Amino acid sequence: MAADTAALSEGILAALARRRATGAVVRASEAAAAAVARAGEWGVARSLLVDDPVLDELAIGPGLALGADGHELLVWPDGRGRGWRELLGLEGPERTMGVTVPRLGVAERGTLVLETGPGHGRSIDVVSTYHLAILPASRLRATLAEALVETYARDGRAPSAVSLVSAPSRTSDIEKISTLGAHGAKGLHVLVVADR
Amino acid sequence: MSSRRPVVYPDTTAPLRERTREALADDALAANLRAAGASWGAARARIASENPFAQMRDRAREIRRGDVRDLPELLDRLEERVRAAGGVVTRAADADAACRYITDLAAARGARLVAKSKSMATEEIKLNEAIEESGLRVVETDLGEWILQLAGQHPSHIVAPAVPLNKEQVRQVLMAESGWELPSDREALVAHARTRLREVFASADIGISGVNFGVAETGTICVVENEGNARLVTALPRIHVAVMGMERVVRDWDEAAHILQILPMAAIGDDAAGYVNLITGPRAPGEADGPEELHLVIVDGGRSALLGTDLEEALDCIRCGACLYSCPMWRSVGGQAYGSPYSGPIGSVLTPLLEGMEGERSSELPFMSSLCGSCHDACPVGIPLHDLLVRVRARVTTAAHRRDRARFRLWSLAWSSPAAYRASVLLARMGLRLAGRRGWARRLPGPGAEWTSQRDLPTRWPPTPPR
Repeated sequence: MAADTAALSEGILAALARRRATGAVVRASEAAAAAVARAGEWGVARSLLVDDPVLDELAIGPGLALGADGHELLVWPDGRGRGWRELLGLEGPERTMGVTVPRLGVAERGTLVLETGPGHGRSIDVVSTYHLAILPASRLRATLAEALVETYARDGRAPSAVSLVSAPSRTSDIEKISTLGAHGAKGLHVLVVADR
Repeated sequence: MSSRRPVVYPDTTAPLRERTREALADDALAANLRAAGASWGAARARIASENPFAQMRDRAREIRRGDVRDLPELLDRLEERVRAAGGVVTRAADADAACRYITDLAAARGARLVAKSKSMATEEIKLNEAIEESGLRVVETDLGEWILQLAGQHPSHIVAPAVPLNKEQVRQVLMAESGWELPSDREALVAHARTRLREVFASADIGISGVNFGVAETGTICVVENEGNARLVTALPRIHVAVMGMERVVRDWDEAAHILQILPMAAIGDDAAGYVNLITGPRAPGEADGPEELHLVIVDGGRSALLGTDLEEALDCIRCGACLYSCPMWRSVGGQAYGSPYSGPIGSVLTPLLEGMEGERSSELPFMSSLCGSCHDACPVGIPLHDLLVRVRARVTTAAHRRDRARFRLWSLAWSSPAAYRASVLLARMGLRLAGRRGWARRLPGPGAEWTSQRDLPTRWPPTPPR
């Protein structure tokens, strides 16, 4: 990993940690095992995955299916067939995990840039109890301005939705004390894949 | 139909003095405000020490001044790009027009349940009342807003709406809503709200959000939040209606990136909001979530009349709420005593401008300030709020203010002649000698009564030491 990529990787994880998100830099060969470990720590029984070649290449889906007994895998957009009540956790397993592959990451502020598309549902991370993001290190940018200008500079229609995610869901509406898991994911874990 | 819930404060029929007296006597409110102000102050100081905040503020001011100056052109571009992306844009001249558009839309689509994420613009146009009157159910989904909706109160703070309630008060409100016994534990209360509101996300027909700003370059709507409810409101229901004050536009993504960083710094003392939802049109072909229809309602509501005037800078505001926390008035009485959707210094400026100068609130609010200028220091876009307060005061014309002005004119006329000045001083001195005893006047008649109701006045110089 180039020196600047290493610095950016450390930067994004440090910034995320200040907002009570967690993460690690892993090699591609270790990513699936790290995802399985995280699913175990959170105690999730089902994962809702984006349909993305990065997950295929890193074998995240098969890893989760093999690594945890009875772990259910849903892949977007097929997973959407379950209906909102189930995806929101009102029915079915209590603890679920959304697995995303951000389009970009911003080192300075600790921000993930999630871009919507047919395989990337815009609600995946917030309907789930926990959010695991798999971010190839080559997608790291230093500043938010760089990342946003790049995201919207392409020809043709802009993505219908882009979500900037910088923290687990939190609220300070009760006595100004920050509490996690208001509506979106209670935990956010970012795996930066160093050699991708 | 809607049964009107009791409103605790604001009682807008009571004059401001009554409302502030009531708020000042509320010890629980004082404790909550003190805690909220202290935690904001600490976070804000930390973030300002870690970032070149002064330079960032200068740049933010430059951005907002430019955007507001070019507002008509930027609005046209935004509208054109939102349309090109498949959205529907409507411009509403006033609150009634905006509410009518939304209730008509809801009726035309046969909607029954509306889920809302936090929006000051919808507070301003009283959208919830309009929706309930049309026979629909509307649920606020921001935790603080929901608690306030259940308690029948209005927001006290732009960013942290529920600050005046403590944990026990929140618990009581949530138990009354669900009929369930709840533990007095913050995390359990949040988890309870999460489940209750998931029922709303799952079945709402329409999601209504505010707009922090629109990006003219691509026709993108930005909705900034920390809880995740704004994403659910804008992603799950079939229809998304976004309500935006007409001044909330930035030119391009470079500007947007800057405002997106300084906004959470000023608002919550963090360098990024938890979630920023960037929405360009409705769901695209092949996508499996997101609304089928996107409606952008751009509200004028008195704003365009400020363009080109010496009050135009009020439109630079990005609604971070920093001036509220910094204001000694707001910290003493909270937002609800203001009796208007926007409180604190920016509320005291905006309310008269948007509601008209004739209303009772408009004649009182601009005077609820010591003009200490802490609001200007706190403002991330450098609005000279203390100057604007003075300019708004100058426009207030109730009978009392007319009388005041006449008195000051008379005074100024009298003292512009040296002879009249000397005569008035002589008269005042003689009067004081007559009214005073042992060198001090304790109760003066007429215009002097206001002074001596609070303090004594020495009748000679240097004053006799008080006994």
